[in-house]
Parts: sequence; C-alpha cells; structure tokens
Amino acid sequence: MTAALKIWSGYLRLTARFPSIGSLVPFIPVIGLWWLVVYLQVFPRVFLPGPVDVWQSFTSLTYKGILPEYLQDSMVRLAVGAFWGIALGIPLGLLIGMSKRAYAALWPPLLFFQAIGDIAWLPILVIWFGYGLVTMTFVIVYTVIFPVVLNTVLGVRTIHENMYRAALSLGASRTRILWEVVLPGALPNIVTGLRNGLGYGWRALIAAEIIVGTSGIGFLMFDARRAGSVVEIILGMIILGILWYIVDSWILAPIERATGQRWGLVQR
Amino acid sequence: MKSLTIRNLSKTYFDLYAGTQVTAVHDVSLDVPAGEFVSIVGPSGCGKSTILNMIAGFIPVTGGEILVGGAPVKGPGRDRGVVFQSFALFPWRTVLDNVAFGPKMRGIAKAKREKIAREYLALAKLTDAADRYPNELSGGMQQRVGVVRALANEPDVLLMDEPFASVDAQTRMTLQEELTRIWQDKKPTVIFITHDVAEAVFLANRVVALSKGRVLDEIAVDLPRPRSWDALHQDERFKALTGRVLQMVRSA
Repeated sequence: MTAALKIWSGYLRLTARFPSIGSLVPFIPVIGLWWLVVYLQVFPRVFLPGPVDVWQSFTSLTYKGILPEYLQDSMVRLAVGAFWGIALGIPLGLLIGMSKRAYAALWPPLLFFQAIGDIAWLPILVIWFGYGLVTMTFVIVYTVIFPVVLNTVLGVRTIHENMYRAALSLGASRTRILWEVVLPGALPNIVTGLRNGLGYGWRALIAAEIIVGTSGIGFLMFDARRAGSVVEIILGMIILGILWYIVDSWILAPIERATGQRWGLVQR
Repeated sequence: MKSLTIRNLSKTYFDLYAGTQVTAVHDVSLDVPAGEFVSIVGPSGCGKSTILNMIAGFIPVTGGEILVGGAPVKGPGRDRGVVFQSFALFPWRTVLDNVAFGPKMRGIAKAKREKIAREYLALAKLTDAADRYPNELSGGMQQRVGVVRALANEPDVLLMDEPFASVDAQTRMTLQEELTRIWQDKKPTVIFITHDVAEAVFLANRVVALSKGRVLDEIAVDLPRPRSWDALHQDERFKALTGRVLQMVRSA
C-alpha cells in the first residue's frame, strides 16, 4: 500500500514539474487497447495494423523525406490561411462591432455566407482556380474568418460603456480608444475565435487536400487509400491529432492564459 | 484646479416604455469655487448621477450650461476626472499602467509618467500593488486605484459617482478618511455624489440636497479637518449636521 502511494506521489510530483507528461499518460491505455485488439487478431492485419507497423511506416516515410515535406506543406497552408483569416477577420469584426451601420450592412450577408460551409465552395473554386494553393488558401481563410469575426464582434460588444467613458475622461482620443480600449477589451474573445477558427481551418485543410491536393497530410491519407495502405492512413490520422494538440496547447492556450484569464475577464 | 459653475441645468428624456417625457433634472444651479469639496446627496432616482454624467460630458444637456473655469463643457475631457461606482479600471493594464494612463494620453514619456503614477500610488498606500492586475485586488484597493488614476491626470474638477457604495462598511470608512486626507493634500475641486447622508457630511465643505431633480437646499459643513470617524461619530456638531441633511432629504 505504501509503495503504491509512493509511486502515486512521485507521479504527481513529476507531472507537476513536467505537465506535458501528464497529458501523454491518458494515451497509454488507448495504445495498449489498440495493440491488444491487433494482437488478438480481431480484424485482419491489412485492415487494422498495429502500433509497431504504424511506427515503422512513420520512420520509413520520414527517412524518404515524404512525411517532412507533406507536413511542411500542410503547416504552411494553415499558416498562410490563418494569417489572412486574422488580417481580414479582426478589422472586419472591430468594424462591425463598433459601427451600427456596418453591423446593419454586413451582419446578414455574413450569416448567409457562414451557412455555406467551406467544403461547399470546393466545386466552384476548382473551376475558378483549379487544383492549387489558391483554392486551398481560400477554403482555409473562409473557415478561419467566421469564428474570428463573430467572436471579435462579441468581444467589442461586451466592453462596458464605462471603459470608454473612463478613457475619454482621462483624455484619450477616438483613435487611441481603438488601441487602448477596444482592441484589448475584445482580445480575450478574439483569441477564443482564433482558437475555434484554426481548429475548423485545420479540418477544412485536410478535407481540401483530400479533394484538390497534390501534397500534404490529407493527400497522404487519400493517396494511401488508393494504394490500399491502411498503415499510412492511420499514421495520417495520428499526425493530425498530434499536430493540432501542439498548436492548441503550445501556442493558443498560453495566449489565452496570458490575456483574458490573467485579466480576470475569462473564468478559468 | 478650477471652479465649476452650473446654470439652470435641466435634463428631460423620452421614456419609451411610459411613452412620456420625463424630467430627470430640473433647473439646477450650483457654484463651486476652485478647491471646494461639494457633496450632492439624495435618494436613488433623484437625478444626482444624471447631473454628474452631464458635468462629465457623457450625456448631452437639455437646457442650461456647465462651465469649468469659465469655459463651457463639450463632451468628456481630461479637465474633468471621473471616479466610477463600478471602478471602471482597465482590466488589461496593471495598477501602475492604469494610473499612468492619463499622463500617457497627454504624451508624457514612459519614465516620467511612471514616476508620476508611483507618487500617486504612494499617496493611496498602493506602492506594493503597482505590478498587479485590477482583478487581483480587493474592491477597496481597486477603488483606491480608481481615485488616484483620476487624480494623477491633474483634472480641474474631480467627479465622484457613489465611489464607495460597492465596498464593505469598514473599508468604506477607511476610504473616506483617506479621501479627506488626499483632498487636504491636493485641494482638488470635488463633486461627490452619494445617497449616504453621513458620508456626504463627513467629506464635504458643503452638502447639496437633491430630490426629484431639484435642489432642495444646501448646508455648509464647517467641521474642522483633518476629519476621522473616531473623532466625529460622537461629535455633536456632526450629529446635528447629518440630522439636518437627513431631514431635508426626507421632507421632500
């Protein structure tokens, strides 16, 4: 009993020092179950390869240089799409949030176009721009921009009137208020919008790569289906999960902690 | 510090629900010489906050005029510092940056405005809180920041809208004593809005009683300074003054 307690307290101390270990531990039983199912040969090996097969596929594809290249392609596409989604989405959201006229003019079309899902654009985009980066960037920007705009509008609208009054009576001009009150006041919501937008964008990217891609993780998976290589499909799925986890927990979550949570605007 | 003059001030607005014109402030005149501390006291709905919001320039006047140092008020401006009941600190700025905000808007360089901010923080015994965020402070501490943030911008008139109404009773007494101390030190022109008669008398040189948008009467408070609750709460003159103000407010 005391030995078990010692191990437990050691584990708690370890995860307190290295929180990333704590987030890896839940995957041990998942991988264990997967391995067991494969080991007991519940399904034929070609339909469900084991963790070891996938690992071997990972190392061989990495060695050949295919995986790093595809990974880079996917990440660059996401980054470019995210950049434009942010660069267009935040100013648009601020405008709609601050101006009643802009709200009246832009809100209905915004909701209309939001309803046309990203993938629904692919048929016409392929005709217009062909199978290439433009089509994929369009889809990602399209996906990222709505959550960013909607959350930015929400963020601007949650700023209390007294914030503006305080800034004005302390001598702030209208333009200073944009930088000193509106932007920081809306920032926690903007970050949330970004987090959602990039999550959707990541999924849209994979879908776009499957349909119109010539490289990338989505293409890797679809290409593997053509070749009947289940190993590579599963590898692709695992990579999707890991990559998003890294982007979310290493980049987006820390930004959220440093802004809204630190300022007490968002409850932990 | 400058004087504040209010002449025949009135405010009417259209009540959408009742479908009628409502008079919130009716023909209010008030002369506040530079460096005087005036409390405006009255029950909720008497129009006292509306008057303050008009002086601050947050809402337009319907009639009459407001002059600060002889110049008419047009919209909000740094000549009139405001302390809000809800504190209205910028949550995304540290205490120091909140207090340095006004000087920053005036274009004062970073080193100098932080020096100014630290001086004012010391005045309210907030030196240790300089690098913290407002949400990490108690309500009483937050309102201390609210008061020195307004003062650090050296306004001509300081407008205080029930600033201590949302802190607990013990903290409120401390804040009131600190405010009288700071006022004696800096001698700003102050308009202090409250529904608390004792608070109004304790702080002010003059108490103006308001009811239904009209000035009922006013009373000069000639109690000696520095003032403290220990000395005053059994003081006969203080009791007499609060009694008279209470009678005025209740008679309406």
